Amino acid sequence: MIEVKNVTKKYGKFVAIDNISFTINDGEIIGLLGPNGAGKSTTMNMLTGFIEQTSGEIIIDGYNTLKKPKKAKKEIGYMPEGVPLYTDLTVKEFITYMAELKKVDRKTRKEKVQKIIEQAGLKEVQGKLIKNLSRGYKQRVSMAGALVGEPKILILDEPTVGLDPKQITEIRNLIKELGKTHTVILSSHILSEVSQICNKVIIINKGKLVAIDTPENLENKVSNKNCIYVTVEDTENKMKNIKEKIQGINKIDLIKENEDGTKEYVIESKNDIDLRKILFTELAKENITIFEMKKADSTLEDAFMKIIEGGNK
Amino acid sequence: MLAVMKKELKSYFFSPIGYVVIGIFLLCFSVFFYLTVISYGSVDLSVLYYYTALYGLIIIVPILTMRTFAEERKTGTEQLLLTSPTGMFKVVLGKLLSALLVIIITLLISFMFFFIVMYFGTPNIVTTLVSMLGFVLISIAALSFGVFASSLTENQVIAGVITVAFLIISLFIPDISSKFSGFALMNYYSNFAQGVISIENIISLLLFSVVFISLTIIVMQRRKIVK
Repeated sequence: MIEVKNVTKKYGKFVAIDNISFTINDGEIIGLLGPNGAGKSTTMNMLTGFIEQTSGEIIIDGYNTLKKPKKAKKEIGYMPEGVPLYTDLTVKEFITYMAELKKVDRKTRKEKVQKIIEQAGLKEVQGKLIKNLSRGYKQRVSMAGALVGEPKILILDEPTVGLDPKQITEIRNLIKELGKTHTVILSSHILSEVSQICNKVIIINKGKLVAIDTPENLENKVSNKNCIYVTVEDTENKMKNIKEKIQGINKIDLIKENEDGTKEYVIESKNDIDLRKILFTELAKENITIFEMKKADSTLEDAFMKIIEGGNK
Repeated sequence: MLAVMKKELKSYFFSPIGYVVIGIFLLCFSVFFYLTVISYGSVDLSVLYYYTALYGLIIIVPILTMRTFAEERKTGTEQLLLTSPTGMFKVVLGKLLSALLVIIITLLISFMFFFIVMYFGTPNIVTTLVSMLGFVLISIAALSFGVFASSLTENQVIAGVITVAFLIISLFIPDISSKFSGFALMNYYSNFAQGVISIENIISLLLFSVVFISLTIIVMQRRKIVK
């Protein structure tokens, strides 16, 4: 469990993190979101003990990061931003070095290193120098480094940045797999990725915590439930009369006329009623053919934009 | 500590640095061997070690130490060190000892001069060994400063230049004013060159090292707050 209590980080007069508090329970996969420079990496760095907060407390599994740093650090596997690695070591040497730094018991070290190499899918390249590896493999090596020492918590700073789509899927699956046995905190710019992998999202903007919730809840909060998008073929131009025919319609707006003669409308209802059924029958009566009809839904991206923009005002 | 040491040794000897250092070092030894032992026809090897310590270390120490922390900072790998449960003291000591080991390896090779001289006369084994001990101690002191300089910056060149500057200043400072003679590292070496083990000199050199090792640890710890 990670408890962050009233943590503030200042650089001189600049406040990078402004009094944030949150709790992360065991087994959760957390997505840390925010625009560039919002303080994501700073937050992660404070959790790992790489930098110290100006005030406030961080407690990792019962260990205060300032008072018992060694014990707190042992609980955490960290994959830093930009995957820093010792490039003149081979993959196996690097993982072994990390195991030594993390004080993995000498007797079991060899087999544990081998296990991690297999888990991260590095078996074929374990004898290669890290500087000769592709970006995707480097990312895996860095993640393998984080896995060393069986930490309960994994902190991954932008684990999929700079990868090709196939590698991204592979890394994502690896993270999902790890999420079954670890608490994972990851930061990412790809919001669809976060809503796929994570079961909780923390949004930080300008050093302040602006939202902490499940991706679904955040999406629901901003979604416009009362809107329906329809694409119709309306040769007799009867669409504007529909408003009087069906009760509960607030507004019908034409969004776009397509080249094939169909028109796209957005229909807003007065309250939480679902108009789709009645629209279907009524439009048929009026000889309006429906090509497409969908309820407005929102993505985490919409939620993110709305929350961030709300904060900036 | 052993882990860091092993890794550092690997990077010395898997890259050209280790060999370059040993090569330059042996070149220094050979030059001074020619200038001192051969030119004067003496069998006193302590002069050889004295001059190599005096001039050789100015080149060798910065090459060995400039990358120790500066490179970690530049590439970001210091994050791996600072977030691991291994303490900073062990990391600094590991790096220092691996650099020292490169120097010790060279010293062992330099033993060949002893055998060469033995062919022509009887060199004093005690003076030679005491000179070597002094050499190791003064190397530790100089390396400590080098590692400290490297922890100050992410630029290896700056770290190297600071170290060279320090060693040169420490060489000339007694000439400027005898008041500063305490700051000259070589002053603590002259007794060893005469085959005398002076506790005072040993303590002074070790104390110097401890101060700069501590300063390095402080600098690295402080990075947590200012970074």
